[in-house]
Amino acid sequence: MFGSLSYSKQKMIIIISFLTVPLLLLATFTYYPAIKLVYYSFTNWDGYSPEKPWVGLDNYREVFANPDIFKVFEHNFAYFVMGIIQNIIAIYFAVVLNNRLRGKNFFRILLFLPYIMNGVAVAFMFGYVFDTTNGSLNLLLGSLGLSGLSDTSWLGTEGLVNYSLASTGLWRFMGYNMVIYIASLQAIPQDIFEAAKIDGASSMQTLWRITLPNMKPVIQLNLFLTVTGALEVFDLPFVLTKGGPAGASQTYVQRVVDTAFAYNNYGLASAMSIILLFFVVFVLLIQQLVLNRGGNK
Amino acid sequence: MAVVMSLLLSGCGSDNSGSGNTPAADPGKSNQETSKNASDISGKITFLTNRTDMIGKEYDEYLKRFNEKYPNIEVELEPSQTDYNQQAKVRMASQELPDVMFIPTIPNSDLPKYFAPLDDLGLNDQVTFKDFKSFDGKLYGISSGNSTSGIVYNKKAFADAGITEVPKTWDEFLAACEKLKQKGIVPLASNFKDKWPLNNWVYDLPRVIENNPNFPNDKLNTDTPFTMDNGYGKAMGLLRQLNEKGYLEKDINSTNWEQSKKDIAAGKFGMYFLGNWVINQVIGAGTTSDNVGFFPLPYDNSGKPSAALSPDFFYAVAKDSEHVDAAKAFVKWMIEESGYEDFAGFIPPLKNKESKLAQLKEFQSGGVKLQEGTVDDPVVTDISNKAQLDLPAVAQEFVLASDPQKVLDKWNAAWAKARKEVKH
Repeated sequence: MFGSLSYSKQKMIIIISFLTVPLLLLATFTYYPAIKLVYYSFTNWDGYSPEKPWVGLDNYREVFANPDIFKVFEHNFAYFVMGIIQNIIAIYFAVVLNNRLRGKNFFRILLFLPYIMNGVAVAFMFGYVFDTTNGSLNLLLGSLGLSGLSDTSWLGTEGLVNYSLASTGLWRFMGYNMVIYIASLQAIPQDIFEAAKIDGASSMQTLWRITLPNMKPVIQLNLFLTVTGALEVFDLPFVLTKGGPAGASQTYVQRVVDTAFAYNNYGLASAMSIILLFFVVFVLLIQQLVLNRGGNK
Repeated sequence: MAVVMSLLLSGCGSDNSGSGNTPAADPGKSNQETSKNASDISGKITFLTNRTDMIGKEYDEYLKRFNEKYPNIEVELEPSQTDYNQQAKVRMASQELPDVMFIPTIPNSDLPKYFAPLDDLGLNDQVTFKDFKSFDGKLYGISSGNSTSGIVYNKKAFADAGITEVPKTWDEFLAACEKLKQKGIVPLASNFKDKWPLNNWVYDLPRVIENNPNFPNDKLNTDTPFTMDNGYGKAMGLLRQLNEKGYLEKDINSTNWEQSKKDIAAGKFGMYFLGNWVINQVIGAGTTSDNVGFFPLPYDNSGKPSAALSPDFFYAVAKDSEHVDAAKAFVKWMIEESGYEDFAGFIPPLKNKESKLAQLKEFQSGGVKLQEGTVDDPVVTDISNKAQLDLPAVAQEFVLASDPQKVLDKWNAAWAKARKEVKH
């Protein structure tokens, strides 16, 4: 039946029919909820009643009038620091495991496995690791003779709790970053390395002058994931500390969820989400600006 | 699961005067009447339950007995996700309610929008907390079981520490804690980190200390609801005192709820201050019923015990259910005949029923006065939500702060601001 149609028309039909399903899915599960979110942010909907009273920009005004809300971003800083360390470790392992090495696939799998695990399960597991009295970390420190450290309250000390939580994130996502780095390493043409070798470059020089510059776009991508991840942490503190002690590990997203589901203020919570969205875009713009200062490739 | 339950226990109370001792008129008679036309009622109903642990076990047995009486009603159980309240609200927003469910936290004025009145069940003169989920004189929810809060303790741990008699005053209580501590037993498991186990300290104790069931609602009339010398300050002060003396867990920011039940059962921890629902869970964690005791917390030195009575979840029938009669019959049967309250460790929801739990008998043996609260004032709830006030979280801050007065000042300020905005 398609025979009578011209080639370009057939092409159009195929393109449209192939694209319909994914576009529909995208629209239903991403764009429609996003548009709804924007709409809710202009109402003071309580989350269940049929009426959604329009309040204009009141929610946004309320968020910006309450500096407390933005203070929780300080807690996200720990995740950012740990994210940078995570990327450095990931590059290290990627470079090491990209060499000819006995059992390198085994090590790759070993490092990647934590990423496959469910986030809540990981959080639960680390609850046992960080437990002050019966936790495996303190038991280990104690048996190493570091009895001064073996009483540390990893999740109950204000300055420490966010780093403890973020280190869990490091353990979990390092392998993921590593896999991306390995992929980009393998995309670097081997002849550049051979040329450098012939010219007598040391391995440090090769890493610094050839490997890293060639990986720049991927490093940017990973930093992007790290920054957005750091700004949107939720599951770890939610499961492990509930934001405690006394709010010291509360994150912005957790606050949004509390506002919506504990305090029945979906309107305000939607406004907070939209603000987070803009905040992420803003931070990423700065990141782009800083990283591209040396001119784009 | 326990989290969901205890959340519901939170801001509650009502004003039935009997404490469950009124003798039964003749329960057999009314049952006969309903069973005459029991087989006429038919239909398939769903019940959204929070007790996912009972599906395939106790519920199977309940449904078997239920179907002996109502052969033509088919009950389908729907297990709730972790947060019942949240899930129920989502279902309400989408207008797809199960036929039988528990009422989530919504203002009573919204009840008629979603639920059918239950006045025709013939239980009106027997149910406790009758005014709790009523609106315009109509009853929309019936308590599935009631709770009180007090000290749940390991009798063997008490005996080992040389405590021969349960403490009747706060000083005696502290002395008992000291004895337990000397014995290497953690006196009171607060489960501080998890926040919800502090609910009884901030929802039950303040109104009992104030001897005013309406104390939580009185916040409406003040800009400074939290002071050191009112119910809130005193109740949180007791918890702070226990922590300062080292009578709580070694590190209160690192506690483990599931493990604490086993530790109470094993006598490594001495006590809980929680609702009576926890008794069966402690027994289930590995001890015998006669090793677990229950007494009212002696919050002062008067020697006159009193404790708060609170309802748990309320059964309700969806207004738009296709089989309202079947749903109502199921609710009535669950309350009258299932025996759910004994399994769950509740004080029975009907006034003329007596609990079968030994611990509840011990609790009441000291002549405790059970104080029932009033319905939460929706305006107070509005202000609390606006101020993002979460009392157990305030208690956490209060206990951890170097200067607790500052914590009270901070929340007083938030309260005053929100009160102005809501009332304007």
